[in-house]
Amino acid sequence: MKPVGLIANPASGKDIRRLVAYGSVFDNNEKVNIVRRVILGLDAMGVKDILIMPDYFGIGVRAIEDLKVSSRITFLDMKRDNTQDDSARAAEILNELGVACIITLGGDGTNRVVAKTCAETPLLPISTGTNNVFPSMVEGTLAGMAAGFTAIDSSDRPDFIKQAPRLTIKYGSEIVDMALIDIVVSKPGFIGTRAVWDISTLQEIFLSRAEPGNIGFSSIGGNISEMPSTNGKGIHIIIGPGSYEIKAPIAPGLIRSVPVKAYRLFEPGEEMPLAHTPAMIALDGERERIERKKMQVAVEIDLHGPWVIDIPRALQQAAKQRLFHNPSPSRR
Amino acid sequence: MELSQEKLLEMYKKMVTVREFEQSLSEAVASGTLPGFVHLGIGQEAVHVGVAYALRATDWVTSTHRDHGMLIARGADIKRCRAEIFGKADGYCKGKGGSMHLAAFDKNAPGCNGILGPSQTINNGIALALKRRGEGDIAVVLFGDGAAHRGEFHEALNLASCWKLPSLAICVNNQYAISVCFDDACSIDDIAARASGYGMPGLVVDGNDVMAVYEAVTETVKSIREGKGPALLELKTRRYKGHFEGDPQSYKTPEEIAEEMKHDPIPIFAKQLLEQEITTEEDLNAIEEEVQKELQEAIEFTDQSPYPSLEEIYTDLTYEERRAV
Repeated sequence: MKPVGLIANPASGKDIRRLVAYGSVFDNNEKVNIVRRVILGLDAMGVKDILIMPDYFGIGVRAIEDLKVSSRITFLDMKRDNTQDDSARAAEILNELGVACIITLGGDGTNRVVAKTCAETPLLPISTGTNNVFPSMVEGTLAGMAAGFTAIDSSDRPDFIKQAPRLTIKYGSEIVDMALIDIVVSKPGFIGTRAVWDISTLQEIFLSRAEPGNIGFSSIGGNISEMPSTNGKGIHIIIGPGSYEIKAPIAPGLIRSVPVKAYRLFEPGEEMPLAHTPAMIALDGERERIERKKMQVAVEIDLHGPWVIDIPRALQQAAKQRLFHNPSPSRR
Repeated sequence: MELSQEKLLEMYKKMVTVREFEQSLSEAVASGTLPGFVHLGIGQEAVHVGVAYALRATDWVTSTHRDHGMLIARGADIKRCRAEIFGKADGYCKGKGGSMHLAAFDKNAPGCNGILGPSQTINNGIALALKRRGEGDIAVVLFGDGAAHRGEFHEALNLASCWKLPSLAICVNNQYAISVCFDDACSIDDIAARASGYGMPGLVVDGNDVMAVYEAVTETVKSIREGKGPALLELKTRRYKGHFEGDPQSYKTPEEIAEEMKHDPIPIFAKQLLEQEITTEEDLNAIEEEVQKELQEAIEFTDQSPYPSLEEIYTDLTYEERRAV
């Protein structure tokens, strides 16, 4: 049986959107509780080995205090610098160690970082961030059980694991960065507190999905009435007065009227050049990059994002396989 | 977060001024020309400048003995600051405050306080006065991670919240309370998390990134001015010098010190300005030369200033006299 990896980002769920919006504060003690429940779920499914990323708060260390489980729990021996690079490094190591899946605790930002280095290893993302489209709000116990089923399931690529799309930023043919949900292009400025909430600075948005049920910039696309099913295509939205004024929840509790000049779907492999440089680029909700004047920068969508476990479907399959039935007396 | 090129370069100059000012104090202590306790904020310039530029002149700022830089960032005259620290008559407090009690009332900065913790309750008093005055000004208090474990911190936050005071509490978490490491002394990883216990927003900010500090304080202050009540910010930074000048920092490993130096706020800001083509290396060098010239003038001013006369010892003890300082 393959081990299961776990990455809990101690910095998620704490940025300025607690002030400029109404984001929940995700206290690390709560993350400790979630990890504890995940481990109990994994243990109940018979997972033998759990590998955890060490972090500055000691989420994993605190989670296993006084926890009685049969699973063997090991912390990754890795360099740590208390930045998002830790998550990227841990994902790379877990992939090399051949884990069945990586459970992540974080938001879109955390999962973006993990997705950059986890290669083919599936993710099971639990939401503890702010604008969360990629990870699910799911009870840790169930997440642990679904991850446990993934570890014991012998099928090569079961149908409860699907590959997500991704948006890439390219200089010519070279991919220099990526996002899972949105790339937001704003007027040039500083990275500062990273979050994006000022509509007046927006210039254009690229989305990998657009559904009204999403929070964040993805909701702008989702709330356009005639938006067709994207089905693997990307959505490019030009911000500015013109065609629509779209009411959209761009952050928790922050519902803004966003002027949309035009939008269109773009195909996988189609290069979408940035209309303006210099520009500030936010990836999955965080200001990350400054593109300089006259840089030839393009965005593309492809279907090579991370593999993601569908928790309800995984648990359904586990139930069908009678994995939740205690052995009958005759089998004991 | 739109700031003009002029304003951004002014901020850079302030950061360099604070650094060089403090560095010159360090040298003065080492050479024996500056006696007594001096606590330097080298490494924390992004905190001072980021906070100062997000406030308006009519706001008030109370700080600690490590915050000479806060006064300088607020526009206090470095000549008078230095003269005060050297106990000279031309200093802001006529040489009677020194490093520990440096104050600049013309900058609404009642100053540094040698006792850490009570500043927060003093700040509540200022905030209450400002609330009654009703002109939309706010009171800001800076304190360290050590002070955040004292009773006054909790009392002040509670009362500020109950009375919805226009108060901003800023914890400058430099990871050390004298020689005690934050990780060994705090039950949680973020002081800002304590805000929720008092019904106010709490944010953690990179205190080595001046623009992150500026932006976070700007947004927080906006919320406070709108009457939404007090807030707590935690600016995570590093203290490059010992607790006081002469402290060899034997409680830090060489690796830790080397790691701290990688996050120096001044080169970080310089890099941002250059990357965005806001300025050039030559302009930054010119700013640094200008700062050296101004610092030299402050040194000469201090050297030429007399010590206060003996008759001064019983003056400035009452409110009316203090007001005139």
